[in-house]
Amino acid sequence: LTAGNKIFRFGACRVSVSATEIRSGFTAIKSNIQARDPIRTLSILSYPHSLHKVKSSDRCCVAHHLFNFYVDRVFKHCKTEDSYVNRKISSIANSFLSVKRKLGQCHEQNKCTCGQESTEKFKQILANYEGLNVTSAAIKSLGELDILLDWM
Amino acid sequence: SGELYCSLPNPRNVHFESVNMKNVLHWSAPEGTGDGVLYKVKYLVYGVGKWIRKPECKNINRTWCDLSSETSDYEEQYYASVKAFLNGMCSDWIETTRFNPLTDTKIDPPMVSVSSTEKSISIILTAPENWKRGPEGESVSLLQVYPGLQYNVSVLNKKTKKRWWFSVSNNTLVVPHLEPGTAYCVSAQIYVTTPLLHSGFSKEYCIATLKDKTA
Amino acid sequence: EDALLPAPLNISIISTNMKHFLTWSPVIVQGETVRYSVQFQGEYEREYANESWIPICECSFITTTVCNITEDISATVAYNLRVRADVGARRSKWGTLKGFFNRITTSLTPPLMKVIADGYHLLVELEDMGPAFQFCVFYWKKGQENRMQQKVVKEVSSVVHLDTMEEGPDYCAKAQTYVEVINRSSDFSQTQCVRAQGGRSVWL
Repeated sequence: LTAGNKIFRFGACRVSVSATEIRSGFTAIKSNIQARDPIRTLSILSYPHSLHKVKSSDRCCVAHHLFNFYVDRVFKHCKTEDSYVNRKISSIANSFLSVKRKLGQCHEQNKCTCGQESTEKFKQILANYEGLNVTSAAIKSLGELDILLDWM
Repeated sequence: SGELYCSLPNPRNVHFESVNMKNVLHWSAPEGTGDGVLYKVKYLVYGVGKWIRKPECKNINRTWCDLSSETSDYEEQYYASVKAFLNGMCSDWIETTRFNPLTDTKIDPPMVSVSSTEKSISIILTAPENWKRGPEGESVSLLQVYPGLQYNVSVLNKKTKKRWWFSVSNNTLVVPHLEPGTAYCVSAQIYVTTPLLHSGFSKEYCIATLKDKTA
Repeated sequence: EDALLPAPLNISIISTNMKHFLTWSPVIVQGETVRYSVQFQGEYEREYANESWIPICECSFITTTVCNITEDISATVAYNLRVRADVGARRSKWGTLKGFFNRITTSLTPPLMKVIADGYHLLVELEDMGPAFQFCVFYWKKGQENRMQQKVVKEVSSVVHLDTMEEGPDYCAKAQTYVEVINRSSDFSQTQCVRAQGGRSVWL
């Protein structure tokens, strides 16, 4: 099966994402990372509403915010004692960095405008994140990467 | 508080087994407990505040519990948990890992129906039906769940022993220009690229092209 | 105090068809076994993680002077790589790759391809080059290059069916690889032609 790119169309913004590579990197560490997150009753990305409830017109802005969020705030707090897990996190982080850049270009070219709802949704995600200590929040966010990938 | 004394060994290997989004919780009996053990089951939508008991799986002696109905929203993720009881004692609640129906389900091979003419065979592929809430329940087809669903089809010429491969996204395939009076065997597999999933291969369906009437 | 161990030199990358290898010249210490360790640093580490380096455990304390870094170069960004030598308690400084490595520069070779006519059916056999590869196969009736058809083969499983042929004319095909994650293609393979004739296939 090809480790292919996926072209994500967020309105006028087209971003190629090596989705299969990111997903296979995540799948390799999913149970390890999720086992480090004991909190079942709180989700960073899905509380109170699933990402799937985001209107299509807001998808680009939410994606732009989320890739910035993961690159700027999540990955750096996910270092583990397991070098294999760290290598996979690096692989995901570097892939996220190139997607973040492409979404950033769309944003600068006004192809990824942010409305009230997308801003509210992202504020909720940040509130969920800041409701936990930083390492727990980062590990929980990393463990929810498939929620983001499934949504995209 | 009437809480039983929880020193019974724990249920083991608590996990979801999911095929075509029919999501069944399975576990093994606690070590060394023999017969008479009863179980309770609860589940939780990840990120939502409370565990929910499954009444149909309360005080059961079997070691599985069908949670398809409770986990049918494949945009959510879930945990489930089992507790064992025996002679006034109980075990701890033992949880599954986080279950994502979209990526953690296994897909059955497609159904293959084949017909033939003198010089061609026609193949119709049918993806397995998704779990349904009941005979009248509304069924979500796998194609809706996985829009990028495709089929890998293999066609074997039984005479020459040569196998050809086709990759198709719709569910029909016609192979023309074949040899009359020859047996061909067809097998197919489903594959999805996002998320990366593929079924096993169906069994082989063999059919012979009709004999050449002019020969 | 023991002389400092020299750092490995001539550090370079050999990257072909999305398989990436780091190589370097051996550090010579008479009568001793020199061992090497490799680390990498992606753009993310440079810009967001205090320029941290990540060890590749498969290439820690190895005696060979080559390391397969394919699995770690798994994003299309600029990577830094470095190697150091160890002999007993002595350790060299890091030798660092000159410039960065981005997998977008990998060299892509034309695919090995065999065109087959089986009766009236035009087929192609392609080598499996790994999950990153797709194949674009172009085929046409000889003399009708302007009516070339294309098939993208994502799943390489031995003999792939291209099309059915009419009896008589020659059919030709050529293929190139395409790597989606770097959005690049290889050169074309040699063109091969075949002809359908009833039940027998004929090579030209």
